[in-house]
Amino acid sequence: MLLDVCNVSKIYGPSCNRCLDLTGSEANRAICPVCNSIVAINSINLTAEHNEILGIVGESGSGKSTLLQLIYQDISASSGTIFFNGLQNDRGTPLNILDLPPSMVSRLKNKEMSMIYQNPRLGLNFLFSAGGNIAERIIGSGERRYEEIRKGSLDYIDRIEMDSSRIDDYPEEFSGGQQQRIQIAKALSSSPKLLLLDEPTTGLDVSVQAKILDLIKELQQEMGFSMIIVSHDLGVINHLTDITVVMKHGTLVEYGLTDQILEDPQHPYTQLLVSSIL
Amino acid sequence: MNSSTFAFLDEDAKKEIRRSLLKAVAIPGYIVPFASREMPVARGWGTGGLQITLSIIVESDTLKVIDQGCDGSVNAVNIRDFITSVTGVESSNETSAATLIQTRHRIPEEKLKDNQILVYQVPYPEVLTTVEPDTAKQKQMHGDGDYSKLWVLLYEDTSQYGDSRISNRYPVLVNKHYVMDPSPIPKYDIPVMNNNSALQLFGAGREKRIYAIPPYTDVRPLKFDDREFKVENFSGIACERCGATDVFFDEVRRGNKSSFFCSDTAFCDAQLEKNNAA
Repeated sequence: MLLDVCNVSKIYGPSCNRCLDLTGSEANRAICPVCNSIVAINSINLTAEHNEILGIVGESGSGKSTLLQLIYQDISASSGTIFFNGLQNDRGTPLNILDLPPSMVSRLKNKEMSMIYQNPRLGLNFLFSAGGNIAERIIGSGERRYEEIRKGSLDYIDRIEMDSSRIDDYPEEFSGGQQQRIQIAKALSSSPKLLLLDEPTTGLDVSVQAKILDLIKELQQEMGFSMIIVSHDLGVINHLTDITVVMKHGTLVEYGLTDQILEDPQHPYTQLLVSSIL
Repeated sequence: MNSSTFAFLDEDAKKEIRRSLLKAVAIPGYIVPFASREMPVARGWGTGGLQITLSIIVESDTLKVIDQGCDGSVNAVNIRDFITSVTGVESSNETSAATLIQTRHRIPEEKLKDNQILVYQVPYPEVLTTVEPDTAKQKQMHGDGDYSKLWVLLYEDTSQYGDSRISNRYPVLVNKHYVMDPSPIPKYDIPVMNNNSALQLFGAGREKRIYAIPPYTDVRPLKFDDREFKVENFSGIACERCGATDVFFDEVRRGNKSSFFCSDTAFCDAQLEKNNAA
């Protein structure tokens, strides 16, 4: 198992001991009536296997992106544990990555996990060239030989089907779709085990969307890594994922094979979601 | 000038600066904040170095002050006059005679000994400012030893210009942990910092920061494993005044013709004397 998320919660606000019980999909609210805290993520359990592609769908505000950011540790969780890729301490006890010291977190984020954001400005450093952005991750994963770094950058520029002559251009000089490709190249250049994608194609032209989704899928099959994709677009989920989870008010309401969920949704909310979009 | 206390600063100020110095020496390359008092010269004119010198100077010291290697430049003369007037210590131009050397932009050519202290005047103490303006993130990066952004600058220069474009203030890795700004000394002086017998102290008065390299500390320029660290090339050049070779030169242009002179004037004088004696 690559990723094991156990009972993870994220509460914004003072929080009381009844927050988790009084919110969620059954209570049909995300705000605790006792203390007015916002329960963004409520006791989520989730696993991902090697090479598995997992989709997260749900309405806006349901906690999809928050969950992704918790796994990537852009924000810290209120409670729960996450185990990743068999990471353990010297005595063989599995390590909760939410409790790792900062140096290990940055190593995890620089090498083992990558995040692709909806907005390329979050994932790319606009002060560095396209090649420099890719190089940053290769360097972050420990490489200190110039020729290897350069070769790696060129290789990933090639993999995202971009002309290698543009390697030293700056992100500003690329189109939105190209920036997203560079972000993908950067994220994959450290050969991560897990790729997290937060609405990777939202806001792009439909034809560009399709090309980028194909590219992601090809690279996934070629390189072999797991993915978790957050999207409100069921088309994207259908195209890419093996397994889909549906979120509402910070809780998981349905979990299953993507085909099954789209063809035969069980939870009333999923039924509503599928019928309203497809 | 009559001063109520020895060395201008009051004893509390000296004590505070000495405490910062002790911490800086204990953690080589780590930047320590200090209060930075008002001095009778404007901030940015060597007040950091001046305060360190005044805090550690004792009656038995012999002082040398240089600016760009020169004992006779206006700034060096004024700082030396000020320090001798408030302490009564002897001063000398001779590097080997001095126990305390305050410098701006150069390390003396003559090899330093372990009874000597070299105090640098520093304009920009934080090496990460160029790549990360957020001070909180800078601290985090130093703590994690995450200098990949500096490496990316090196990568970009190497890919676009063949080598680093940094001529002075070349980042150095101190004691295999902290990367620090060596102050605007030329690349030529960087190898001299490594394993130096003298204690090296750095003071930035305007930025209120102190850092240090203890004697015999490992100091390495950031460079790729498969690239050489190249210093200024003066092959075939000799000083027009004393005939010295293998030193750092100042270039003086007259019309279309360049003349070269030792940047270290005390060294040049000594060479000249040796030549005349022979």
